[in-house]
Amino acid sequence: MRAYLIRRLWQGAVAVLGALLIVFVAQRLAGDPVALLLPMDASAEDFAAMREALGLDRPLPVQFVVFLRDALTGDFGESYQWQAPAMPLLLERLPATLELALAGLAFALLLAVPLGVMSAVYRGRWVDRLAKVLALLGQAMPGFWVGLLLILFLAVRLQWLPAFGREGPLHLVLPAVALGWYPVAAMTRTLRSSMLDILDSDYIRTGRVMGLPERTVIWRYALRNAAVPLATMIGVYFANMLGGAFVIEVVFAWPGVGRAVVDAVFARDFPVVQAGVVLSAVIFVVVNLLVDLSYGLIDPRIRHG
Amino acid sequence: MRRGVLAAAWLCAGCLLSLPLVAVDDGDDAHVVVAFAAEPTQIDPTRTSAGVDQYFMALFYEQLLTAGPDLRQRNWLAESWRLFERDGVWLIGVELRRGVRFHNGDELTAHDLRYSYLRQRDPSLSRQAGRWRHVADVRVLGDYELEIVFKGLPDSALLPLNLDLWAIPRRYYEEVGNEGVQAHPIGTGPWKFVSRSLREEIVVERFDDYWDPDSLPGIRRLTIKIIPEDTTRVAAFKTGAVDWIDAVPPAQVADFERTPGVKVASLPTSNNLFLALNALDPRSPLGDVRVRQAVAHAIDFDAIIRYILHGQGIRTVQVTPGAPGHDPALKAYAFDPDRSRELLRQAGYGRGINMNCYNLTTPREPYLKEVGEAMFAYLTAAGIRCRIVQLEYGAWINLGRRDARPEMDGIASWMWGHGALGDPTDPWGGHLHSYGDGWGWYSYHDDPELDGMVETLRVTVEPDAKEALIREIARLKHERVAGGVPTYRPLVTLAWRDTLRFEPWPQANWRMMRDIGLADSPVP
Amino acid sequence: MAERRVPVVSCVVLGLVLLCAVAGPWFAPHEASEIALAESMTPPFWRSGGSLDYPLGTDMLGRDILSRIIAGARVSVTVAVYAIALSGGIGAALGISAGYFGGIVDAVISRLIDIQMSIPAIPLAMLFAAVLPPGEGMVITIIVLTYWTWYARIVRGEVLSLRERDFITVAKVAGVSSPMILIRHLTPNVLNTLLVLATLQFGSVIVFEAGLSFLGLGIQPPQVSWGGMLADGRNFIEVAWWLITMPGLAIMASCLASNLLGDWLRDTFDPKRRIT
Repeated sequence: MRAYLIRRLWQGAVAVLGALLIVFVAQRLAGDPVALLLPMDASAEDFAAMREALGLDRPLPVQFVVFLRDALTGDFGESYQWQAPAMPLLLERLPATLELALAGLAFALLLAVPLGVMSAVYRGRWVDRLAKVLALLGQAMPGFWVGLLLILFLAVRLQWLPAFGREGPLHLVLPAVALGWYPVAAMTRTLRSSMLDILDSDYIRTGRVMGLPERTVIWRYALRNAAVPLATMIGVYFANMLGGAFVIEVVFAWPGVGRAVVDAVFARDFPVVQAGVVLSAVIFVVVNLLVDLSYGLIDPRIRHG
Repeated sequence: MRRGVLAAAWLCAGCLLSLPLVAVDDGDDAHVVVAFAAEPTQIDPTRTSAGVDQYFMALFYEQLLTAGPDLRQRNWLAESWRLFERDGVWLIGVELRRGVRFHNGDELTAHDLRYSYLRQRDPSLSRQAGRWRHVADVRVLGDYELEIVFKGLPDSALLPLNLDLWAIPRRYYEEVGNEGVQAHPIGTGPWKFVSRSLREEIVVERFDDYWDPDSLPGIRRLTIKIIPEDTTRVAAFKTGAVDWIDAVPPAQVADFERTPGVKVASLPTSNNLFLALNALDPRSPLGDVRVRQAVAHAIDFDAIIRYILHGQGIRTVQVTPGAPGHDPALKAYAFDPDRSRELLRQAGYGRGINMNCYNLTTPREPYLKEVGEAMFAYLTAAGIRCRIVQLEYGAWINLGRRDARPEMDGIASWMWGHGALGDPTDPWGGHLHSYGDGWGWYSYHDDPELDGMVETLRVTVEPDAKEALIREIARLKHERVAGGVPTYRPLVTLAWRDTLRFEPWPQANWRMMRDIGLADSPVP
Repeated sequence: MAERRVPVVSCVVLGLVLLCAVAGPWFAPHEASEIALAESMTPPFWRSGGSLDYPLGTDMLGRDILSRIIAGARVSVTVAVYAIALSGGIGAALGISAGYFGGIVDAVISRLIDIQMSIPAIPLAMLFAAVLPPGEGMVITIIVLTYWTWYARIVRGEVLSLRERDFITVAKVAGVSSPMILIRHLTPNVLNTLLVLATLQFGSVIVFEAGLSFLGLGIQPPQVSWGGMLADGRNFIEVAWWLITMPGLAIMASCLASNLLGDWLRDTFDPKRRIT
């Protein structure tokens, strides 16, 4: 278990390091990183000072080390749009994004778990076919378009739900549906196929033979075992949702990290953009690590050697 | 089934929604939530660089004079003032109103206004420092008395700018510094700062020690949300999340006017829009007056105003219609794309030209992005092929500034307000007069004759002479297509629920939240 | 089984999209960027006020929605073709190398894949949108950077299993050089996989491009893109519903078609479902 943990931590660290490397390369790709990192009206002294701070006269590897040193202390430069350090600005908005991603995940599970289980149990029947259609639609309708349609019908036409901002649980409904829409398809499919495998297994047959009620067999024993592949997906999709939230936040004017980063791209506020990329990579890695470690909790048969 | 499941989920959500969204106290303690489309970047009036900054400044800060809802200038923090000559020196003598207090309790004195002057003329702090080039000093004669001393002739732009000085608390500024002022602005205005969260909202509270207790707002607290997206702002109003919005989209003004329980006001902004053209390089196509005229002939502005803006714009040839110096005889370039092509041909560009066209996408004025796209589509159709670059406000303002990179190397959708009173003196100094020596911060033109006239205009105070000079500059500016092609002055439409009482004041383009209260509360 | 039938509808839809991309300007009723302000916000023809001149209505500037959707197909297909060719090519090359050579090569490439996959696609796109000039080139670059791992990972797995198969071993024993084995024997075997992946990717590239353009970071006007049309229509959602529905339907139809076709191809070429 410990060896496994160390290996996963090491892999995570390498991945984050890689993300930092990509950001660093992107910075240099743009030509003069100083022009990228300073406001457009910066003075010649500002330029000289920044050049010095980045160590631009030194070889590239040294520059990367300087960049890493700053990054490890959370220093990605100062947002010139908001005149404040970039990373804290984003961390301030992280709760809103996490909230949205969690709500999206909750919506996706709420729809995918019953659909996945039912379509396995009633294989080939109408529930199964419905799940299939839903899955196809889910993958073909981009979340931001679903968001626009939700706004059109539920906020503008029917005026049932608020279309913008973050004022309370109601405001969370539409963005969460738009964000959770996409993974429903894949989650349903995964759950369905693992349910099918398990329903066929001796383990479940034994349960049935022992006379356990069908409901208990399906929802308690089969689902529990079928949930492992789903858990892997939850990790992947949750992390992807944090990325997807970038677009959904713009659609619904949600005050999260994504909207700030999109704004920053337009305002040529590069420090915020690079902080946003690194932040999402770190979250991605951490979430996946947590998911890996949680397998043992879901399925006691899995023990990491 | 799919529909069934979703409908059920949405139905549940709908039930929850029937709970009230915003609790509004009644009477004097009310808290009203409103929404603005755009957000200022600067709160400190001595450091402002853009008209949008007025939106928050106007809550906290006041000037010596002001314009009321009737657009007439009136004394404000000045008890009285006069322009006079003494021993060959021109002066403006000001007597201050007594008993005016800042939000921190300090009393306003002439020293605070001199401090404001020192900040406003400091180029390291203020983008408007050039405005003070005609002023030798602001002298304090006593706690309530000061003199603006001119170097030579008096500056004619100071008067329409309400003498331009701002009442800022010197002691507080020196104590907390620039950052501190940004974090917590203090002025003499009717609203006190409570909190701000960038890109989200600002919360203010009524200043009960305001110098004019009769004109205090009728509500205790005001939250201004920033909602740039038209759809979400309108939805916020319709669902009751906010009770007042600015910039109702022109396509929806008629719908708002028909809605019971909603009051609507469409008002001319103090903003003047134009197409900026870089005419600095004589070798570039735009350096040729015929090409600039081709630009002016290529676009059907009347159609833009009618169909895109739904009439929410006033066509301008140069000076705002109705403003001093407006010349009804000066006619706009007719929409005539054939003429444009002919002019291009004469200039030696028979095959047309390629051009960078910069479009402002921030909803600073209604449908700016769409108007820009239409203008550029017209240009393209007439042979001036636009490569459109979409810009957000910050990048856009930097593009226009002469001291920043990158350089605006083509055509840009631009704006510079002539103010509530429609006086072009200051904007012409900024985008018609050539760049340098405090002039022409946003200018892409260099015409010595016009420079001289703009400089003269700056020191022409006598109304008739000033009007005549404005007319003359306008004519030449028009003929030479100098300092850009004026397009229109937008109207802004405000809407509020009739549970509110609201009288628009022209400050901050009618977004001044001075005369606001609950409809059933007594009118001050 | 029903799913084994050739998905005719998908082929028709994709054929139509390709036709629009190649020959759109010849049969589109209007020029995509032609403005007619007096006709602005005309509803689709079946609504009152609509007209057959503008079958799907017009936008704010009186531009014909149908013609713009046709023009948008061109951008979508161009981006998709380049992005798929490049990400498929790069991904396959790296995947084959990793699978075939194993050892240090595999370790390096696998680590690269891990790193790339640890950065969510959209933030990565933001990063490049901030440093590269916007437009088709940037969109293609971003998509290639995002998707090559997908090809590389699957192809690597494929090659790993092929490597152990008899005919490769025989070739090695017979002294055939490595490049020869790669080109002659491995590549044809992974081509089927690549075809399936490419078809499936078509849909997601269209969605990805639309998303970027919707944010204003992708295709820039006056070039027309479906995502950009949605962004333009967003501000008029209350007065003109067709602005945000029609381009969305185009995205959905082409994505659905390519997914269905891809699924069918996969079922045909890869009954054991190694590709996910």
